[in-house]
Amino acid sequence: MSTGRTISIGGASTSRRDAWTFGVSIAVHVVVLGWGALTFAARPLTSESAPLPIDIITVSEFTQLTAGSKTAPKAAPPIANALGERKPVDDAAAAVAKTDVHAATDVQATEPTPPKPDKKKSEPQPDLIAEAIKKDLAKAEPKKAEQKSEQKKPDTKAEKKVEAKAEAKPAPKKEQPKFDPRQVEALLDKRTPQRVAATGNVVNSAVGLGVPNASGKELSASERDAFARHLHKCWIAPPGRPNDGKILVPVTIRLKMDRTLAAPPQVEMRATDAYTRALMESTVRAIIACQPYTMFSLPNYESWKELGIDFDPDMFGG
Amino acid sequence: MRSLELTLSRRRVLAGAAGLSFAAAAAGLWSRVRAAPRITITEGNMQPMPIALPDFVGGGLPDPAMARSVTQIITANLQRSGLFAPIDQAAYIEKITNIDQVRFPDWRQINAQALVTGTLSRQPDGRLGARFRLWDVFAAQYLDGKEYSTPPDNWRRIAHLISDAIYERLTGEKGYFDSRVVFIDESGSKERRVKRLAIMDQDGANVRYLTRGDDLVLTPRFSPSSQEITYMSYSQGQPRVYLLNIENGQREVVGNFPNMTFSPRFAPDGQRVIMSLQQGGNANIFLMDLRSKATTRLTDTAAIDTAPSFSPDGSRICFESDRGGRQQIYVMGANGGPAQRISFSDGAYSTPVWSPRGDYIAFTKQAQGRFAIGIMKPDGSGERILTDGYHNEGPTFSPNGRVVMFFRDPGGSAGPSLFTVDVTGRNEQRVPSPSYASDPAWSPLLR
Repeated sequence: MSTGRTISIGGASTSRRDAWTFGVSIAVHVVVLGWGALTFAARPLTSESAPLPIDIITVSEFTQLTAGSKTAPKAAPPIANALGERKPVDDAAAAVAKTDVHAATDVQATEPTPPKPDKKKSEPQPDLIAEAIKKDLAKAEPKKAEQKSEQKKPDTKAEKKVEAKAEAKPAPKKEQPKFDPRQVEALLDKRTPQRVAATGNVVNSAVGLGVPNASGKELSASERDAFARHLHKCWIAPPGRPNDGKILVPVTIRLKMDRTLAAPPQVEMRATDAYTRALMESTVRAIIACQPYTMFSLPNYESWKELGIDFDPDMFGG
Repeated sequence: MRSLELTLSRRRVLAGAAGLSFAAAAAGLWSRVRAAPRITITEGNMQPMPIALPDFVGGGLPDPAMARSVTQIITANLQRSGLFAPIDQAAYIEKITNIDQVRFPDWRQINAQALVTGTLSRQPDGRLGARFRLWDVFAAQYLDGKEYSTPPDNWRRIAHLISDAIYERLTGEKGYFDSRVVFIDESGSKERRVKRLAIMDQDGANVRYLTRGDDLVLTPRFSPSSQEITYMSYSQGQPRVYLLNIENGQREVVGNFPNMTFSPRFAPDGQRVIMSLQQGGNANIFLMDLRSKATTRLTDTAAIDTAPSFSPDGSRICFESDRGGRQQIYVMGANGGPAQRISFSDGAYSTPVWSPRGDYIAFTKQAQGRFAIGIMKPDGSGERILTDGYHNEGPTFSPNGRVVMFFRDPGGSAGPSLFTVDVTGRNEQRVPSPSYASDPAWSPLLR
């Protein structure tokens, strides 16, 4: 019996514990499933990279084409010559001075020049309509004067006070500009367009801006290509490439905004032999000798202030 | 007890937080490094490196012009290599008086990438002492410096040693300037041409004649380990392979074969000579131990197998053979056995020689009446013609395997001359010699 009682007590305890465990299990499952449902929910497919303009030709081809060639045949005389001489405007300020400016503000601000005495113009032409209006006004005025005298009699004191005040502070006559639709043209800004900066110091030419996933701080392919071609001119790699395996010299450089080195180039590898050491030194020499790197545009400074360069001497084998 | 647990847990929390912050910082740094755009430079400038070599500062020299001469020899060596472009001294801004102090901006202004300063002086014991310093101008740092001491009559060698040191430091490869060339000096008219065995520095200086010209001599080859030369001579009517000690002039016949022996060349250990032995209308390759005189037959074909050359590790031998109907290059093991043909282009291939680096086999290629000097990899791939024309022959590698010397015979009444071309084929130079010269063989670096 004692054994059975013990069992029954133990069974009740076990069932309570099971229920508690079951509850905890449900709670944990709900939490995990809920977290999973929220975390792994399907998201709309968005492109991670910023939109870029697509050229039909490759960048290398484009830069090669624009680089020109010494051996290229002479081009035909430009058609533009037949259209007349071009007059470039170098000085933007001078261009403004030469152009007539009729800004709306200037019309008000400019002092009227005294008109030249012109007898013909000084004699006004008779305006029949204006004279008719004057006659009407002259008839109406005596009537108004009679009405006013009748009204002023009961309260002369108040009238005097008002008049005294008005005399003490005579209101200045201010000429308000009248809107004349015939002079709308004068409101237009006729200055020669001279602005080169939209906002800030320099124009941001990032084509991918204006979309949610835009990124304006990426090195353009043209800048990369120009940088590689520029560095190619300065890099004299030692010719003794070993036969076993490929060597790549990774170098990190930091540049200032004036496109020169902010610190000595850092080679991210250790020399294991004399050739590797000479190769590493040749890359550092090239980077120092090649500055400044004028191919980088200032608005994208964040994209080129730190660069990683991998020097591959593969073609120098012999 | 509880407080202890609490303390421990706080410590753990703090340690965990520190670890997490460190990991975050490391991750941030890594991401920053990774974020920097990477640009690969796959092309470089093949132009020679501009280098400034102001005259060495002299002190108490028997000949005041000696310091300038040393500088000129170094300059000529580096220029001839094709890898350096010494800048005209007229452009120099700074005049070097102290070899340990240089004004880098002055040298940067004339676009010198490297600068060599040095002194040459007479030491109290009468010997010459030379010191040099090599500077990286753009990095503004010291690269290398050495001191040498030698008898005064050996002053040219100092210049070659300094040239090698500069070459090695800037290219990462061993130099080849402190070496010599043995060749066949040819003089007299074409009908009565006198051929003498001669030796000179690799730049054509210090010519010395090893034979008097009584006998016809051909195909001299340097020993890789001693001051010995093996060559073929018609001294007793029968062409035989000889050994000659350069130092004492002693000469001996290699082996005692009944027939003609030719095309000798040393094995890399310097203890054995490999050559061809004529047997009837055929020729086969034999290897002879110079100490024991034991001879080993390496080929046995009904063809002409000749011009054998060991690989630098001594494991393989390349040679020419017409066993396929036309002269081609074959490679076999050092102990003979089956040979593998490695040349397949049109034309006849001959005089193969293995580079000391082991990366190339140089050869003479005859096709359409023209003789070209070329190289190919030991498996036959990457064939590259270095020079072409009439009539180029007899390639030999410089000690570092970067340059091939050969002779060119234009025909007619003129005689042959020596030329060098680097393994890229871009830099061909004529080697000065006192008269006509042929059959060059480049020595290892002197020790």
